Amino acid sequence: MPINYYIILSLTLFVIGIVGVLTRRNTIIVFMCIEIMLNAVNLLLVAFSKMHHINQVATNPTAGTEAQLFVFFIMVVAAAEVSVGLAIIVMLFRNTHSIDVNFLNRLKH
Amino acid sequence: MNALIISAVFGVIMMFTGIFVKQKPVTRNIAIAGVALLLLVNILEMSGIDFFKVHTAGFMLFDRFALLFNSVAFGSTLIYFILSAPDMEKVGHYYADYFALIFFILCGVVLVASFQSLLILFLGIEIISIPLYILTGSNKRNLISNEASLKYFLMGAFSTGIMLMGITLLYGATGTFDTQFMNIETEGTSALVIAGMLLLFFSMAFKVSAVPFHFWTPDVYDGCPTVFTSFMATVVKSAAFVGFIRLFYDAFGSIHDDWKLVAAIITALTLLVGNITAVFQQSVKRMLAYSSISQAGFMLLGLLALNATSKEGIILYATAYSLATIGIFAILLKMNDHSFESFNGFARQQPLLAGVNVIFLLSLAGIPLTAGFLAKFYMLKATLESGDFLWLVILAVIMAAVSVYYYFRLIQAMYFKEGDGNAIEVSPGFKLMLVIVAACLIVLGVFPNLLLNWLYF
Amino acid sequence: MIDLLQATVNSPGTTSASYLPIGLQVLFVVGLVGFLLIITHFLGPKRQTAEKLETFAGGIASHGDARQPMAINYFLVAILFVLFDVEIIFFYPYAINFRALGWDGFWAVMMFVSFFLCGFIYIIKKGALIWED
Repeated sequence: MPINYYIILSLTLFVIGIVGVLTRRNTIIVFMCIEIMLNAVNLLLVAFSKMHHINQVATNPTAGTEAQLFVFFIMVVAAAEVSVGLAIIVMLFRNTHSIDVNFLNRLKH
Repeated sequence: MNALIISAVFGVIMMFTGIFVKQKPVTRNIAIAGVALLLLVNILEMSGIDFFKVHTAGFMLFDRFALLFNSVAFGSTLIYFILSAPDMEKVGHYYADYFALIFFILCGVVLVASFQSLLILFLGIEIISIPLYILTGSNKRNLISNEASLKYFLMGAFSTGIMLMGITLLYGATGTFDTQFMNIETEGTSALVIAGMLLLFFSMAFKVSAVPFHFWTPDVYDGCPTVFTSFMATVVKSAAFVGFIRLFYDAFGSIHDDWKLVAAIITALTLLVGNITAVFQQSVKRMLAYSSISQAGFMLLGLLALNATSKEGIILYATAYSLATIGIFAILLKMNDHSFESFNGFARQQPLLAGVNVIFLLSLAGIPLTAGFLAKFYMLKATLESGDFLWLVILAVIMAAVSVYYYFRLIQAMYFKEGDGNAIEVSPGFKLMLVIVAACLIVLGVFPNLLLNWLYF
Repeated sequence: MIDLLQATVNSPGTTSASYLPIGLQVLFVVGLVGFLLIITHFLGPKRQTAEKLETFAGGIASHGDARQPMAINYFLVAILFVLFDVEIIFFYPYAINFRALGWDGFWAVMMFVSFFLCGFIYIIKKGALIWED
């Protein structure tokens, strides 16, 4: 399959994520949209890894592996981010009993 | 490498200090000793003594620039701990954990300052950001702190996603994450490279709060407990700048002509919006938040110029800006509230503190004989050397003149307004430390080569 | 199609024709499910009484709402589980390169595990895993 299909699929997912972050009001859903963005990146990285591997396997048998490792790092960092983010949301929920992003307007002067 | 490993280990040590040591002064002294050790081993590494022979396999590169910046960051953190660590007790119960998080942030600072692979840049930015989300929300009962934390978290995670997409597109076009081996052609650059570069540019602009992407900064800096705002606005911000410059110097230096107009526009907007909005602020804390945006505008000039002078300039700027801002925040922390009025009549009560505060403010405003002046001078010189941005240099000078207005407002409140203000009590050690910091600023303002020679010898 | 990159990923012998069985299966699955749903809707008898529409829970009369606030411990344990679970991912590349990495790799993984263990001891000492109040 041409790599363009993968690029377009990932960019579509990525844009869905961005639009979700910018338009949704529920913090948890904003959160899920950020995860969609990260997973779109993961998908594209794996596709590029395969592409570079096939193109360069004659000269460099390990070509493309670094992108797969990058995917592992993204997953782990995303998990760390999720746990901190959920903790923040739980903390905010205890104080306000709401997870609406509009609560954030209080800081503006 | 020394500093990276020791900062990670010290983070773990501080985690357990919180469990086994109950006395707060002991915890504090362990943390101060830790940062002093970090500074020491980093200076040893600059003189060629490396304790850990780790093969970095092209992921990191500890050159003079990275090591010198690390020293500046550790030095600033040491001063910050000595001045402001007692004030962290007021934030919450988890005193030792705050230090642990700051040590982990320092670990990320080392990564960002010395990355060679984009993987390390990403990890460094995340290791800096995630503890900062926690520190921002550390005042758990305060709604403002919670909101700042959530806002910072959402913005940070969003910009991380954008950054990752940029890295991925760049990888697709070049087949490597190594910034030294990207070999981006000057002619006929592929669309993927340009798209990836712009995404990276925007996400880094988010992190350093350059102007169309600055809207989170004042709210987060304002909502965050003041002790941690001080750290966030200085060490972390200059680390992000060093990463930004390193990235564009190594990877995109060959296509400088393609992006310098975008950088120039963003710099001009940052200078304009940061300075003009700072004029209208009523709280000193918020004024400092906007002033950090306007100072970011000057640091962006270094990115725009991208030559040897700008590397010198960014080190000097990071030092001058961090020292002065940490000093002002340390004094602000002793005040009961953060309005300009609370400084009325301050000079009569605390003549020494008011005097050093004036030196810090003069340095931020860029008055000659202070380090801030030379830092701004280096940035403008670098921009002029790179050619064809005369209009930006003129704009920067005008904006520096505007910044004098809001910094002098504080001086005016301290010296020329009557008021009982709030009677604050400070220890002699605190005063001595502030005097040392002010002396450093003046010495660097006269002999900048004391610092900059480290880049070469 | 926009030509963002000229290179293509082609394993030998995969063309769009080799996706034909998958396409047929997708059509069959969607068609069968849709057919069954429609046919039961038309053929099945409809007797709607209050007792029948009630939630069935082992014959005991239901009471209250299912959506009650949960104890905060669940969140804490879930968050910690996510963290510790995902970190295991780093063992995967080590496992497939186990022989090639040799003792150096072993000590590197040991260092990783010991950092990990520090985190685990930390959360136990902090009392994050204590359930009873």
